[in-house]
Amino acid sequence: MNDLAHSRLLEGRVTMTGIEPAAKMEIRNLRFYYAETLALKGITLALGERKVTAFIGPSGCGKSTLLRVFNRIYDLYPNQRAEGEVLLDGKDILDRSQDVNLLRARVGMVFQKPTPFPMSIYENIAFGIRLHKRLAKAEMDGRVEEALRRAALWSEVKDKLHASGLSLSGGQQQRLCIARTVAVKPEVILLDEPASALDPISTSKIEELIDELKAEYTIVIVTHNMQQAARVSDQTAFMYLGELIEFGDTEQIFTAPRDKRTQDYITGRFG
Amino acid sequence: MPEHIVTSFDDELNEIDGLIRSMGDTASAMVGQATRALIESDDILSRHVISEDMVMDARQRELDDKAITLIARRQPMAADLRAVVGAIRMAADLERIGDLAKNIAKRVGAVGETVAPRHYSHSIETMAEMVLEQVAGVIERYQDRAPEALREMRADDEKIDIQYTAIFRELLTYMMEDPRNITACTHLLFCAKNLERIGDHVTNIAENAYYVITGSQLPPYRPKQDETMSVLAE
Repeated sequence: MNDLAHSRLLEGRVTMTGIEPAAKMEIRNLRFYYAETLALKGITLALGERKVTAFIGPSGCGKSTLLRVFNRIYDLYPNQRAEGEVLLDGKDILDRSQDVNLLRARVGMVFQKPTPFPMSIYENIAFGIRLHKRLAKAEMDGRVEEALRRAALWSEVKDKLHASGLSLSGGQQQRLCIARTVAVKPEVILLDEPASALDPISTSKIEELIDELKAEYTIVIVTHNMQQAARVSDQTAFMYLGELIEFGDTEQIFTAPRDKRTQDYITGRFG
Repeated sequence: MPEHIVTSFDDELNEIDGLIRSMGDTASAMVGQATRALIESDDILSRHVISEDMVMDARQRELDDKAITLIARRQPMAADLRAVVGAIRMAADLERIGDLAKNIAKRVGAVGETVAPRHYSHSIETMAEMVLEQVAGVIERYQDRAPEALREMRADDEKIDIQYTAIFRELLTYMMEDPRNITACTHLLFCAKNLERIGDHVTNIAENAYYVITGSQLPPYRPKQDETMSVLAE
């Protein structure tokens, strides 16, 4: 056990299980404020490299807030601030010297509602790449195809790459957003309720995609669907009222949680 | 544990629990009655035990149906999931206990027809009392959510196994004394074997119940005291 895990055990705030995977991201005593309101009350945990970590908890527990810290998207809003440390490969991304554009290229994000740009399918993907790189047409074509293939969308759109992204179905739009995220070759992908607005077949496709993507990326998913968290994740964190209540191997969390609050929440007993 | 937000979820879990309790009650009654029928050569009672087996089968099927439906509709998690899967397994063990009690009851006629000296079955009576206590106790301890008491039941099963070995030797001696005892003693031997198997099913139920309650498995090792494999007629 590493020192961090050990200190957490000593603090007694988090129940440890299993073997700690190599950490891609380490969150240390993270506090987050919306103006004067403390929304995250000292979160400490590590996200395993090339693992899927699921965050579950009732609305308002801070799971989406936590996700918004990982790529500093909260920076776009006034009066929101984070304290503590979020180490990406050992370097604190909350540090003032951190280039946020570079950070967001390394840590991609997909939202609950599909958000394709009002442009062609091709441009939806090329747009993000151009922000970071100038590529020749042939090379760009290759990158677009690769991203669409990664997102399991290529066969459905290859003959209409210049149709509007908005002409696709909801499930296809969401996979387009994942393709757009993957196209800039991030290291971490944040998924905030990625399938909550989708039908079961599109949901299965997204889940299949998560299984495939985890071979290369570290994935963090926030979901209200407990079965989905149980299906797709390696590790699960249960949050409540801005605190991390329990963090452990998904199998353990869903079969034999240690904290009573976790048990009550996942069995539908939360009053 | 607090109640579910959806009350009908609690109702469904309670129904499954009720079926386990009812199967447990029927199983104890069957074991008690089968032994009494054997010792008292009571044909009417033995026929009653045989007919009760159908009740056990029906309850098990009902419980399986309810459990499968609950899984499909509610997707239970954690303690709920363990309770439902545990109930399916416990019901299967209880149903087997019913079968074994029926097997004892079926031999009542055969033992009764021979001149089986009643005192031959005294030690079986003692063994049956031990087994009966286990059958009745295991469901009670599960309902009381008493994991430590359930853990101790594995040790109690060893005493039954030791008693079985003793009966095996005893009946062998009677058979050697007088070959006319062979028919009755052989039937009694099978009855003792059935009781010993019932004890094993109780142990399974105890292990399952322990997992349902605690979320962790009891260690697999369990000393086995059935030494009849090495008992010789001397």
